[in-house]
Parts: sequence; structure tokens; C-alpha cells
Amino acid sequence: MTPMTKTWEQLAPQRGALAVLRPADAEAWSERLRFDRERAARHQSSELAAITAAVRERARSAGAAAVVLSGSTARGGRTSVSDLDYHVIGIASLQVADLPEDIDLYADELDRFWAKLREGDDFAHWSVWYGCVLFDSGVMREAARYVAEHDAWPDPERKLHQAQGALDFAEQMAASGDYDAALEQVRGVLSLTARWLLLSHDAFPLARDELPEQLEQLGYVDLAHSLRRSIRERPSIENLREGVARAREISGAKQSLSRRAAA
Amino acid sequence: MSSKPKVEVAREHLSKAQEEAAGDDLRDAVQWSFASLEAAIDALAEKHAIEIKAKHWRRAEAATELHEKGLLPKDLSELHQLLNVERKGMFYEGEDPDLGDRSMEDVLTEIETAVEIAEAEAK
Repeated sequence: MTPMTKTWEQLAPQRGALAVLRPADAEAWSERLRFDRERAARHQSSELAAITAAVRERARSAGAAAVVLSGSTARGGRTSVSDLDYHVIGIASLQVADLPEDIDLYADELDRFWAKLREGDDFAHWSVWYGCVLFDSGVMREAARYVAEHDAWPDPERKLHQAQGALDFAEQMAASGDYDAALEQVRGVLSLTARWLLLSHDAFPLARDELPEQLEQLGYVDLAHSLRRSIRERPSIENLREGVARAREISGAKQSLSRRAAA
Repeated sequence: MSSKPKVEVAREHLSKAQEEAAGDDLRDAVQWSFASLEAAIDALAEKHAIEIKAKHWRRAEAATELHEKGLLPKDLSELHQLLNVERKGMFYEGEDPDLGDRSMEDVLTEIETAVEIAEAEAK
């Protein structure tokens, strides 16, 4: 059962839930920033917090308008395969390659960030919904207002396209005998497929390790099982191939249905 | 989970990257190049007791260390980071790879050197 959205902590991953919290309201947004500071402290080890502090300070010095801690770290659900994810807004790039962690950092100048939000880029939307805002000159609040007022929603078709584009390579990697690379690719494809399915059902995809439970709630039990194993275990190559086949079957079948409906 | 020896994997991935590059598929060429470079670094790191723990950033550090020890003629950490960023951009944002000042041929040449060294060390 999804909790009712009454506080930022309870923000339900359902379309429309963000608007319930009235992010345009100054007091409500202050509460969001307070909640974000608290969870950034709670969800990071001292080593990760030091990396985050370095990213934040470098971004500030480079003139960024906002920095958001994203993904499993923001959600408090890191696993052994988690990266450290950041979204830096207001600058085109930021050098972090020297920091001792696998870091996924997306840097978007302001125009690009707004374009992504309007076009339904799910990472930009994720920053607005569940990202840990580390500092904000106002763009994140405006973005949250925009999403709430326009019922803006990530475009599921973008994720479907990404998943389908990644399937062939994952399949070839699974056949290559390079287990670690295959596991990473298959995990990625299963995650993309999961995000597409969830968005299609007006459910907001949470962090990667939370996706299997969200999929189960929609009835995609087998896909959930494959994804969970790819995150928490080291399944056999045969299991990985089955996962890719499952993702291909679901995405292909759904695409055919969409095309028929469109016709 | 068993896997082929990394040195074999590195050569096979490199062959795929060369095939894709010859067919003008830059996207797949970049993906296979990155996989080949990672496997070559893994093979050399294992031989010289450098811990990787299946982390990309540790492979970049290992590439630097292998160069500093005189095992690789060039520090490939920057190439590793470039390919890692570009393959993620393709995967998650659908972007076409941008190799900057490098051509795909340059990339393949640099990786082939690492693969050849890993093969020689494995004998």
C-alpha cells in the first residue's frame, strides 16, 4: 500500500503526488530543503559525504545554479553496485574523475535542463521529485513548481527507446564470456525496461533497488525477479540471458500493442 | 561466477570494436572499445596485484599505476574516463559519442597496445 502524500518524506511515487505538497509555497519548499539536508547527512558515510562536499564546492565555484544528490544514495538504498549520482544545473560540465568513487554526474546548463524537463527526461524529473537538493539558487524550486502546475511527467517512450537500443549489446555481451560486463549491461537494460513500464503506469520509478518491488506491485513478477537478482546476486549467464529475453519480449509486445492502439 | 580469462576477452572485444568501426558504427565501436580496455586493465591489474573490485574508477587508477610502473607506455586513465562517459551518454541519454580530438582509429590503436601487453604478460 502506497502511503498518502502529506510530507516530503511520504512523497508517493504516483503521478500527481508532487502537486499535493505545493512546492511553490515558500514554507513547503523550505521544508523540502530541510528534509534534503537531513537525509543527505543520514544516507552518506563520512567518505561519501566528503566526496559530495567536494562536488558541491566545485560546482559552486564553477557557477552552478543547483546541485542535486540523486539515485540510491539520495533514497538511502545504496547497494554494492551503486554509483554516486549527481545532477548539476547551470554549468555544462564538472571535472570529478579524480574523486575515489564511481560517479555519474550529469551537468546541464539552464536551458538544457528546462528543455529536458519539458521533453520528459526522467533523470531531470527524478531530481525534482526525489533528488536531495544540496544547494539551489531557485531553479529547483521553479522546476518543482512547473512539474506540479503542469502535471509534467517523464516520457515513457524515451525509456522504451533506450531499453530497446541497449538490448542487442546486452545480449551480445552476455554471449561474450565477459561476466562482469554482461552483468552490468543486463542490469542496465532491465532497469530501463522497468522504468519504462512504471512510467507507463503513472508510477514514478524510485532508485534501482526499489524498482523490483514497484514492478511486483504492477504484476511484473518475473521481470522483478530478474532485476533483483542482477542487483543483489551474481546470477548465472543463463539467468542473465533469460532476463534479456524477458525484457525483449515485454518491450516488443508492449510496443506492438502501442502501435495497434495508435492505428 | 566463471568468466573467460580477461586477456582473451580483451582481444575478442577489441576485434568486435574494430569490426564495428570498419562498418562505421561508432556507437558499438565505442562500447566494445570500453569493454576491451576494461578487460585489458583487469588482466594486467590481476597480474600485478592491483585491486579493482569491479569498480570503473579503480580501473582508471590502475591504468595510471600501470603506466607509472612502466608496464604501459601511456597513462590510459583519461581514455578510460572518456569512453566511460561517452558510453553512459549513449546508454542513458541516447547521445552520439564524441571522442574530442581523437579518431576512432586512435582509440583502437591505444587499446590494442594495452591488449598486446596484457597478452605478452599472460604468456
